[in-house]
Amino acid sequence: MHEALLTLGFGLVAAAILSLSALAFTLEYSVTNVANLSHGEILTVGAYCAYLVQQHGGGVILSGLAAAAGGGLLALAVHNGVVDRFVRRGIGGLPTFIATLGVSLVIQNVLVIIFGASNLGYAVPQGAPRTVGPFLWTDTEIQIMVSTVVITVLLYVIIVHTRFGKSLRAVSQNRSLARVSGINANRVAALTWLLAGLIGGYAGFILAESVGTFSPYSGFSFFLITLTAAVAGGLGRAVGTLAGGIIVGIALEFFGGYVSASYNLAFAFAILSLVILVRPRGLFVGGRRSVFE
Amino acid sequence: MIDYLVTVLTEGSIFAIMALGLNIVWGWSGDFDLAFYGYVALGAYMTLVLTVGPATNPTTYILGLTLPFPLAVALAVVSAMVLALIVGAIALRHLRGIYFSIVTLGAVYVLYVVTGQYVPLFNGYNGVSGLFDPMGDVLGLDYSSYSFFYLGLCIAVLIIVLLLTTRLNGSRFGLALRSLREDERAAAAFGRDIYVTKLKAYVLGAGLGGLGGALYAGYLTAFNPSAWSPVETIILYAAILVGGRGSTRGVVLGVAVMVMGLQEATRYLPEIANQPSFAPALRLIITGVVLVLFIRFRPQGILPERRFRDKDPAGKGDAAAVEAMVAGPKLDTGAA
Amino acid sequence: MTTLLEVQGLHKHFGGVQAVNSCSFTAAEGQITGLIGPNGAGKSTAIDLISGFKIPDSGKVRFEGREVQGKTPHVISRMGLIRTFQSPREWPGLSVLENLILACFEPRRERFWRSLRGPSRAEKEKANEQLVEARAILDEFGLFHLRNERAGNLSGGQKRLLEFARMRMAKPRLVILDEPMGGVNPVLGERMAAAVLGFVTAGTSVVIVEHNLPFIERVTDQVVVMAEGRVIAEAPFDQLRGNPAVVDAYLGELPTYDDAES
Ligand SMILES: Nc1ncnc2c1ncn2[C@@H]1O[C@H](COP(=O)(O)OP(=O)(O)OP(=O)(O)O)[C@@H](O)[C@H]1O
Ligand SMILES: [Mg+2]
Repeated sequence: MHEALLTLGFGLVAAAILSLSALAFTLEYSVTNVANLSHGEILTVGAYCAYLVQQHGGGVILSGLAAAAGGGLLALAVHNGVVDRFVRRGIGGLPTFIATLGVSLVIQNVLVIIFGASNLGYAVPQGAPRTVGPFLWTDTEIQIMVSTVVITVLLYVIIVHTRFGKSLRAVSQNRSLARVSGINANRVAALTWLLAGLIGGYAGFILAESVGTFSPYSGFSFFLITLTAAVAGGLGRAVGTLAGGIIVGIALEFFGGYVSASYNLAFAFAILSLVILVRPRGLFVGGRRSVFE
Repeated sequence: MIDYLVTVLTEGSIFAIMALGLNIVWGWSGDFDLAFYGYVALGAYMTLVLTVGPATNPTTYILGLTLPFPLAVALAVVSAMVLALIVGAIALRHLRGIYFSIVTLGAVYVLYVVTGQYVPLFNGYNGVSGLFDPMGDVLGLDYSSYSFFYLGLCIAVLIIVLLLTTRLNGSRFGLALRSLREDERAAAAFGRDIYVTKLKAYVLGAGLGGLGGALYAGYLTAFNPSAWSPVETIILYAAILVGGRGSTRGVVLGVAVMVMGLQEATRYLPEIANQPSFAPALRLIITGVVLVLFIRFRPQGILPERRFRDKDPAGKGDAAAVEAMVAGPKLDTGAA
Repeated sequence: MTTLLEVQGLHKHFGGVQAVNSCSFTAAEGQITGLIGPNGAGKSTAIDLISGFKIPDSGKVRFEGREVQGKTPHVISRMGLIRTFQSPREWPGLSVLENLILACFEPRRERFWRSLRGPSRAEKEKANEQLVEARAILDEFGLFHLRNERAGNLSGGQKRLLEFARMRMAKPRLVILDEPMGGVNPVLGERMAAAVLGFVTAGTSVVIVEHNLPFIERVTDQVVVMAEGRVIAEAPFDQLRGNPAVVDAYLGELPTYDDAES
């Protein structure tokens, strides 16, 4: 029982990181209807930005901000430079999806050229684990979870209570309708990607903190898990995605703890395939349909 | 110099075989299959474990037979097709577009992780090795003439594959596949069994992937997970896109440009940059940029897929002109 | 007069919307049956249910006496029931002529092994006959000069004509046309009417969904009126005018049209 609680504690950390990443991915998807295959690189770039700041003596807070800024700028660049142009030209979801795969390839390898392909790690120590109720967490892990909760609440406030959030919801419902009703849809989409990038970049930082190391490829691997969470929650649905992130994060930790951590990714994909096959619109929506519905 | 040319051409023909297989799936049937390199890998592994003999400590792998190379290749192709049948039967049932891609990406990742982690299968991350000069001893070839022989073998197989795909391209089967790519619902409304037809194309494409993988194993003498990261699939896609999606000539051109040409162009870079991963990384960057630019500006590629053209000198024909034409041009549907 | 299509008590709901609610009607062999009703009446959904593109919650569909509900679209199509869609669905990347050739489904020739072997002499002849026929049909619809054009490049009205041409090529027992006049220049109306009537001459019965009531009046033998998922009337067009349920469903649209005409 105690061991299970400990695993749950680690699972909550994983769930926090995964939820942020998945939320960012879902935000990107919601306004453009494009599954961004270069999403993982937003995380990676975040991790490297934080690394650079730490190299120059920056602390945890500054690193986190730098990671967010780096991720945000990258997401904005990908949106304005590629995705938005494709969407406006009426190039479909699948070709744009393929294009973002190309973008992902470019970013990964630019990072390889600049930083090399091998693993890097942060200098800031994790801190000793301490007992919090039944759980065992390091300072870093507590920081990860607290910041995740803060960011999630902020995001909720932004989406539900601000004018921008209202426009965002309108654009994600129906872009052309939103445009007709006087919303600058392209600007809203760009800002949403920026927001998603800020969150994603920060997620990359805490991912690297929690794992201990990162490389130009680590974001892409994590993206594959992100996809599981986002699809399980229902693509483009924020609340569902959050739930998906938490469930998948904890499930993976238990799988890793009790079965085998090396097969984690395979396990994630088994879940994903199952979800897509059984409930392609996410775990939380149902219905019996023919292939064409 | 001549050795180098032989290397490039051998690799080029092998990649062309794979790309022609993928073109059936993506170019004709229209499914963006990210699992494709898994079939290539399986073809390569199976060829190795069927030819190199039993594993010696500390390596472990299944089978470990010493079959003749051609038989091993045939079995490797069959196993790739069986795997594709399983993956395709699941993924093609309900899924299209990005969902299909995600599930196939998932399938290949599961395969990748299992191959790497489960050592008894294909010796984990160290992979299987030891396939030296297949058929060389039977034919009594020495080292220098062997590479020419293998190049000849690869080109011969490529020509057979080209004949096969050209035939299919102009056939009703090829045309029916195109109709699925262009509009599935209309295809179903006109009687096409989408699932079965797509599955046929998928398995066939995977078979060619497995064939390419088998030849690749003979060329590399070994295979391990680092040889087939999912990135390899993207390179094949880039080749198809640049050459002309759906067009057989185009795919061959695309492989020449994106695999052989790019390799050649960046060949001397390592010395310049003094960094071992610089040239491969640069190649991948160029591949990524080319992918984006072609999707945006020239999605049909350099040599677009050709449509059947019904020539008619008489212009908009009255009945008589139609009658006259009938004797003339014959129907050879598709892009032959 | 034999019944070709018999729909019995079809139901289909989407979430809370009962799109098709106990819908029953028949279509007779050799006739043109109109299916009309206000927007959202459930006409397109009913077609999807009949042709297998959607699965009904309950109900029966009989085509030539055989039950087809729950069968997949291609199976129903192979039995001789082909439908069009509310928005034109040509194969955009293929040529107009290829679109016509593909309308003839030939299970044997499309088999993989046969394709690999290449066409036999008889098949080549058959292909040539098809080509001749396709040219003639294209000529009839005024698309002959566009036969090598990419079908996706046609105008909206031309795409509609192409759909008619494909149907003529396919020669089904029954076609179901979902708003074939949508977006078509009224000038083309004559041609469309002729085309619809032409189906019957060619041995194909027709079910047609259309909002253009003069057109419906002109071509149909029998009209089925739907509203809110139900069939509220089933009679020849001229008997519908006095039907209060129909007038009610159309919010007075029908009488206005009568006034304008008389
Ligand atoms: N996929 C769907 N999901 C949810 N609701 C649907 C779906 N398809 C149709 N509906 C609803 O079912 C009802 C019937 O729609 P249908 O398209 O069959 O109407 P219709 O008679 O063809 O209308 P129109 O003349 O405008 O084409 C409508 O209220 C529509 O909103
Ligand atoms: Mg409709």
